[in-house]
Amino acid sequence: MTTIREEMWKFKGILFNFAISDLKIRYRNSVLGVLWSLIEPLLMLGVLFVVFSTMFKFDIENFPIYLLLGIICYNFFKNGTTFALNSLTNRSALMSQIYFPRSIPGISSGVTAAIMLIFELVVLGIFMVVLDFVPTVTILVLPLILGLEFLLILGIALPLSVLNVKYKDTEFIWLVIVQAAFFLTPIFYQFDMLPANIQAIFQFSPLVQIVTMAHHVVLYGTLPSINSVLYAVGSISVITGIGYLIFRKYQAKIVEEV
Amino acid sequence: MDEYAITAKNISKKFTIHHEKTDSIFEAAAGLFQKKKKTEILQALDDVSFNVKHGEIFGIIGRNGGGKTTLLRIISRIYAPDSGSVDVKGSIIPVLALGLGFHPELTAITNIYQSSVLLGFKKAEISKRVDEIIKFAELEKFADTKVKNFSAGMQMRLAFATSVLVDPDILLLDEVFAVGDVNFQKKCFDTIMDFKKRGKAIIFVSHDMTSVRNFCDTVMFLKEGKVGLIGSPQKSVDAYLDYLETQK
Repeated sequence: MTTIREEMWKFKGILFNFAISDLKIRYRNSVLGVLWSLIEPLLMLGVLFVVFSTMFKFDIENFPIYLLLGIICYNFFKNGTTFALNSLTNRSALMSQIYFPRSIPGISSGVTAAIMLIFELVVLGIFMVVLDFVPTVTILVLPLILGLEFLLILGIALPLSVLNVKYKDTEFIWLVIVQAAFFLTPIFYQFDMLPANIQAIFQFSPLVQIVTMAHHVVLYGTLPSINSVLYAVGSISVITGIGYLIFRKYQAKIVEEV
Repeated sequence: MDEYAITAKNISKKFTIHHEKTDSIFEAAAGLFQKKKKTEILQALDDVSFNVKHGEIFGIIGRNGGGKTTLLRIISRIYAPDSGSVDVKGSIIPVLALGLGFHPELTAITNIYQSSVLLGFKKAEISKRVDEIIKFAELEKFADTKVKNFSAGMQMRLAFATSVLVDPDILLLDEVFAVGDVNFQKKCFDTIMDFKKRGKAIIFVSHDMTSVRNFCDTVMFLKEGKVGLIGSPQKSVDAYLDYLETQK
């Protein structure tokens, strides 16, 4: 992993250049511009809120905040990994002209998602003020949890960026997985509402652990349990490790495939 | 200072051509149980060695598919050679056929920033040069136009202006004169000569034998991926033209 960190440091300028130009291209020609990153989670929240507070009622305290926090964590994951899918293919012209480390587009997708995450956290803040909700002091741990999620995103973004060059259906497969993750993660329900045998399987999902930990520190004022931390760190290390190996296997020759 | 700006030793590079390319995960998984699909090996470069001195204009000529662009890409680290090594002294800028990998959705100015950052420059240094680059490229009216709306000539001008004004030690030029009008060609020519005077190495790839003869100090003729001849422009161009005769 040290090589990736060194590359990141050395090519910080390129990294942020990519991340910012991705944002620019994403919101190009739209009247509302970057405001979309505030409006999008607001709209999505509105829809889910109506659906889950009228049609499917779950008895969850502070449901709007619970829901929004879950969506924000999920969006960070979804954005970071799906941006990475085409991060190399979109730069095929650049790759065949100027050398830059192949890890940078994948990492910069994570950075783009992190910038959008900041906008969404602002939306969360606005909601807290409007709903007169005072978070517990343990909210200070939230950045650490999101940092852990960032590692998970990098571990998936890097292999996805190279795999999608070589195998064009990576994109479709991954989009289905991401969609499934929305329902398999306690965003609009609580994890312990699930049957015990299903809980036993999905507790290994790093996203489940991250969302659960985020709920704990923001809503309940409790630090994440040792179990949660161990499961999260364990599964994220395994995924990131495998992801890095896949990335390393393909990265040298990827420019010949784009 | 070392005598040579670029030292290339025994470079070989082959590409595998897949006649039926596997490009989905499902096919790849199914392929584990099937017999191997047909592939063909293309030896793009075969044991190519050469040196380029400081202040030398080194020409490369050869037929299409003769390995010229592959060689430039190996020198600029875009491709990794299968065997052999390239030693480059100083910063290097490849100007290949079309642009500097400009992003079509970004404006000329944003693209200048992106390319320069990729070539290792800091934002502050670039800001000082942006106006100069735009002026050199004669694109004052189009500074905020997206590159996708540029003509081939305009892209080439922007690429050439960006590369020479960031002042690399080594310049790789692939068919820069193919587009661009006479005035701009003259400007390119003057700039290249100025680079030469300042002791910078230039690799010049072209199909235009007149400019190769007038320009280059040494010319390499690449013959189907192998070194056909390295020598004076006259000799190499003659060897190339003779070779073309035999191919008819």
